[in-house]
Amino acid sequence: MSEFPSVSEEEFRQVSEFLYRRTGMVFGETKRYYAHRRIAERMAALGLADFAAYFHRLRTDSDCEIEQFINAFTVNETYFYREDHQLRCLTTDLLADRMRSKPAGQPYRLWSVPCSTGEEPYSLALWLLENWPEVDTHEIEIVGSDVDTACIEAARAGLYGARALMRLSPALVEKYFEPAGPDHWRLVADLRDSVQFSPVNLVDQESVRAHGTFDVIFCRNVLIYFDDASRRMAAENLYESLAPGGFICLGHTESMSRVSSLFEVRRFADAIVYQRPRGKAHG
Amino acid sequence: MDDASRRRSPRRILIVDDAGLVRRFHRDALEKAGFAVVEALNGVEALEKILAEPFDMAVVDVNMPQMDGLTFLTALRDLEGPERSLPALIVSTEAAAHDREAARAAGANFYLVKPVRPDLLVEHVMLMCGGAR
Amino acid sequence: MPLVRKPPANAAATPVAAPPRPQAFDAAALTGGSDDERWSAARAAAAHPDAVAALAAALPREREPRVRSALFNSLARIASPDSAAALLPHLRSNEASLRSGALDALRAMPVAVAPLLPALLGDPDPDVRLLSCELLREQPEGEANRLLAAVLEREPELNVCAAALEVACEIGDRHLLDALARCAQRFAADPFLGFSIAVARERIEAQRAGSRE
Repeated sequence: MSEFPSVSEEEFRQVSEFLYRRTGMVFGETKRYYAHRRIAERMAALGLADFAAYFHRLRTDSDCEIEQFINAFTVNETYFYREDHQLRCLTTDLLADRMRSKPAGQPYRLWSVPCSTGEEPYSLALWLLENWPEVDTHEIEIVGSDVDTACIEAARAGLYGARALMRLSPALVEKYFEPAGPDHWRLVADLRDSVQFSPVNLVDQESVRAHGTFDVIFCRNVLIYFDDASRRMAAENLYESLAPGGFICLGHTESMSRVSSLFEVRRFADAIVYQRPRGKAHG
Repeated sequence: MDDASRRRSPRRILIVDDAGLVRRFHRDALEKAGFAVVEALNGVEALEKILAEPFDMAVVDVNMPQMDGLTFLTALRDLEGPERSLPALIVSTEAAAHDREAARAAGANFYLVKPVRPDLLVEHVMLMCGGAR
Repeated sequence: MPLVRKPPANAAATPVAAPPRPQAFDAAALTGGSDDERWSAARAAAAHPDAVAALAAALPREREPRVRSALFNSLARIASPDSAAALLPHLRSNEASLRSGALDALRAMPVAVAPLLPALLGDPDPDVRLLSCELLREQPEGEANRLLAAVLEREPELNVCAAALEVACEIGDRHLLDALARCAQRFAADPFLGFSIAVARERIEAQRAGSRE
């Protein structure tokens, strides 16, 4: 039974199938309510009482309605320790797996792309310092990249408001941030120095190649904005950016199923991630 | 889950098909017969679901985008865990007779020609699962 | 601190294992060499429209899934009438992965595919007709509905009609209603088709009921 009178179950089915085909977004049990609500909200915002009119608008992507819809899902989602289940997976499983596969002495390279205003790559640094017992015994390189250079500049500055820090304990904020004016905190210099920021265009092979290969890539909530052709291109570029056996993590409404079959699905206790096959080392 | 509650809970069937109408049609028939149904739209999603939750069998269409049903089946049988033995019923068209042999070679347990009549589907699923519960 | 270190400013970010540099188009590289070399060559071919013949020739012989995928992707990126024509034979392939790879690539080039659709929807092979229905999703709505109506009116194979109905549920408009009614008459006995037609009708009728922008 539909909780939103303006969108029936049948209509919701129609729109989620379409969105899956176009963007790759999937709405599991927990996300259905939010997706349903977003549709109702978009209809209200557009003054449309008729679902068919909204679906037509979505299908023809009038005024970038698809992007509007996606934004409603991903807005306000850049904050420290977002999707911490993936961070747990990183320290519990992924790094250990990489350790077994890598020649000794080589740095671990982690990529946050898109990095937006830096919350994600800095979260990686923070999390590792706080949760990875081996953090002192390995060299870790964290790179944050985005197509938006204004975001990169903001990321380098490392200045954040209360909302971005809402998932961090007061102790963590105390430890890694300095007050910087009313309701703002700046990440301490050591942490800011621990992440390299760079511009990148995921659809541009050369732009991506310039970054080298990584052990783990976090590529959240960007592939859903691409069209099919761009998604395939980005998938191939990301594949090349992963070391054999390296891992890539997508966003919570995303599945590799609409993107590419290049990667193998791996299930760990805290997350489902995707892995570049190790290659034919064994006969 | 202990044996007693396992016996009480419905068998879980994964329906893998990119066609929403087929998924819904099969879901209706199987739910009516007492099965629990989960859907996947192609082979990649099917592998994700199988690794995330337990299933008693999968009903898999051959022609799907990104990863077809036979490639999925091969990948399934290549998995390291117990999921690799998941019973799989492959569905394809009459015209694609070659799919039948390929399905057998890839490790299918059974093969049906579409459109699959609801009663026939339920019958086969019952057989392959040993009942709805 | 810092426990997490940035490499010194003068050090290049050298990758652990550098992927092969892209080459100018080299047809021989598509079929010889390592997986990585063929992968690179297949990707590089996308920039060369004259690579279509070589890409098409490499496809049936390529066993490595990711290289095959790169071959398909490059044909899709070239998106010329030649590349569309090169993909068509694979719709008939006995190998499911070649069929789905070809269809995925054709889906990505609606402009090149458009002139081929009437013939594809009238192909002697019912499986080709079935797969081709999928390609209507990306076509302009008016033309797509016209072609769908023709399928629903005349297509003898139930499975092909089912594929058309699947697409009608997304893009169907009121012009399809007569064809849907006739399809229902032709396949009155089949429960799945009856179900599918009912869903398509429901969605189209819902459009008529409300006001359109």
